[in-house]
Order: sequence, then structure tokens, then C-alpha cells
Amino acid sequence: MRQWRSIAKEAVARASIVVKFLCFLHVTDSYLLSFSHVLGPSMLPTLNITGDVVLVEHLSHRTGKVGSGDLVLVRSPLDPRKTLTKRIVAMEDDKVTFSLDPTRNYSSRSLVVPKGHVWIQGDNLYASRDSRHFGPVPYGLIQGKVFLRVWPPNSFGSFGQ
Amino acid sequence: MGGWSSFISIVRSLCLLHAANNYLGTTVITYGPSMLPTLNITGNLLLVERISTRTGKLRPGDVVIFRSPESPRKVVCKRLIGMEGDQVTYVVDPKNSDRCETIVVPKGHVWVEGDYIYDSKDSRNFGAVPYGLLKGRVFWTLLPRKDFGSLAPKPK
Repeated sequence: MRQWRSIAKEAVARASIVVKFLCFLHVTDSYLLSFSHVLGPSMLPTLNITGDVVLVEHLSHRTGKVGSGDLVLVRSPLDPRKTLTKRIVAMEDDKVTFSLDPTRNYSSRSLVVPKGHVWIQGDNLYASRDSRHFGPVPYGLIQGKVFLRVWPPNSFGSFGQ
Repeated sequence: MGGWSSFISIVRSLCLLHAANNYLGTTVITYGPSMLPTLNITGNLLLVERISTRTGKLRPGDVVIFRSPESPRKVVCKRLIGMEGDQVTYVVDPKNSDRCETIVVPKGHVWVEGDYIYDSKDSRNFGAVPYGLLKGRVFWTLLPRKDFGSLAPKPK
């Protein structure tokens, strides 16, 4: 009986260390920095098609310091379980001109981004589903700002415009 | 060194609180006329659970809180009327006319309305809300004392 009790105590102590570490990891993950694996053709040539590991910071979007030209992680308005990586092209109250089919330049439309929303586009307009298809995205769906690529190592570094 | 260890334990308990807040539930204070008679105009303290939003087990008739699509810093409390793919019929402007419109809720979105449609800014104004903005389901009223208990269903 005494043996079981001491084993149980030890198990609880070990488990609480793990739980505390996971909580700490979760807090840093949501408020400071996290890694993210991004893949797909929609952000060529900025991001590779086979996949990159990037460092994402979660402070800027909470303080309102994301703007046009930033690479952001956004929760998809079509499927809430998916996270998209796109570039912000326009903030609220900006006018944005776009064409759904970039091979034909004459079919362009423009609109003003409504309040509380942003306009996101992939860098590779030919293979990207973005605001040109599902409209402006509410600011509250932004999860973080991508600022550094850590893998593959030969393209380590921050991103250009 | 005593100060350091108490600082560590404060950080640990805050981390635990934050994790519980994000994955289990939290409390929220609401005020305003848009959810009369279910919620008061002067204010309610409500218990919110986050498990239903994460597992996708919300149903029409649930009262939910979500980040406003117009002001990303504001949290709004309304009732879920339709999930994606549902057909929703709503009165556009009940104070001035009886005109109704019917729409199908787009994929990945939900339709929310206040219980007091005469004074409520909801999906009839800012459109269907992306599911990713939902932050939790309200399931219990803590204050005021006379309303302690689960929330009333949608009034007819």
C-alpha cells in the first residue's frame, strides 16, 4: 500500500512538471514567438513550394503594428482549422486594385477595404487563393507576423518586399 | 532568492491560468440592449466554455462570444442563428419595415443575431462572421443573482 502511494506521488510530481512546462510553452507560443512550417506555391518566390520553417511573432498583431507589406499567418475564413501564410496588401480604408486573372490585365476591379478588415494576397498571383477570391479578411483572424526564415539553412534570414 | 522563487511561482500560476482560459473556459462581462430579454442591459457576468468552439460542436440557438469583424479589439455576444450551409431568413430593419431577406451562410462562416433585433448590430449589419473569430460558448449566468443559471433559449 505504501509503495503504491509513493509511486503515485512521484507520478503526480513528474506529470506536474510536464504540465507546467507545456503551459509555459503555450504562453510563449501565443504571445511571443513560435515556429511554423509553411508550404505551397502561393507565396513563390518568397517562400519555397516544398516547405520552409519560419519564425512567427505574436506581438505585433495584438498591438496593431502590422501593416501593408507584412507577411502574416491568417486563419482561413473558409476553413477555420487551416492557417494561411499571405502578404497584407492593404489595410482598412485603403483602396485596392486587383485582377482575378493576372494573365489578362484588362479585367481589373477596385474596392475600398472595409473597417476592421485587411486585404491579403499571395506573392504568386497565378497560384494563390486569397482576398481576390474570398474577399477582405477581418483583422481578428490574423495570428502572427512572419519575420525570419530558419530552414532551409541556405536561405536563412529575413524577407524582402 | 526568496523574491525570485515567488516570482517564478506567480509566472507558473499565470501560465496555468492562461492555459485554462484558452482551452477550458473563462468569464465575460456583457452589457447593452442587443440580447434582451436573455441578458440585461446593465450587465451580466457569464461563464464561457471554449471546448465547443474548438471541437466544432456549436449548434444554432447557442449564445456565443466572438471578436467583432468591424472592431478587432471588441468582443461581442450574440446568439448563433445559422451554421455554414444553412438558409437564414432575417428581418433587415425591423424598426422601419417588415422586409425579409434569405441568404445561405457561406462556407467557414456563421450567422449571428441579437435576441432584441430592434437594437442589435449583428450579422444583418456586418454579414456572416468567419468561424475563426468565435471565442467561446456562453453556458451559465453568474451575476446578477436572480438570473443565476443557464441561459434562456431564443425567445419566439
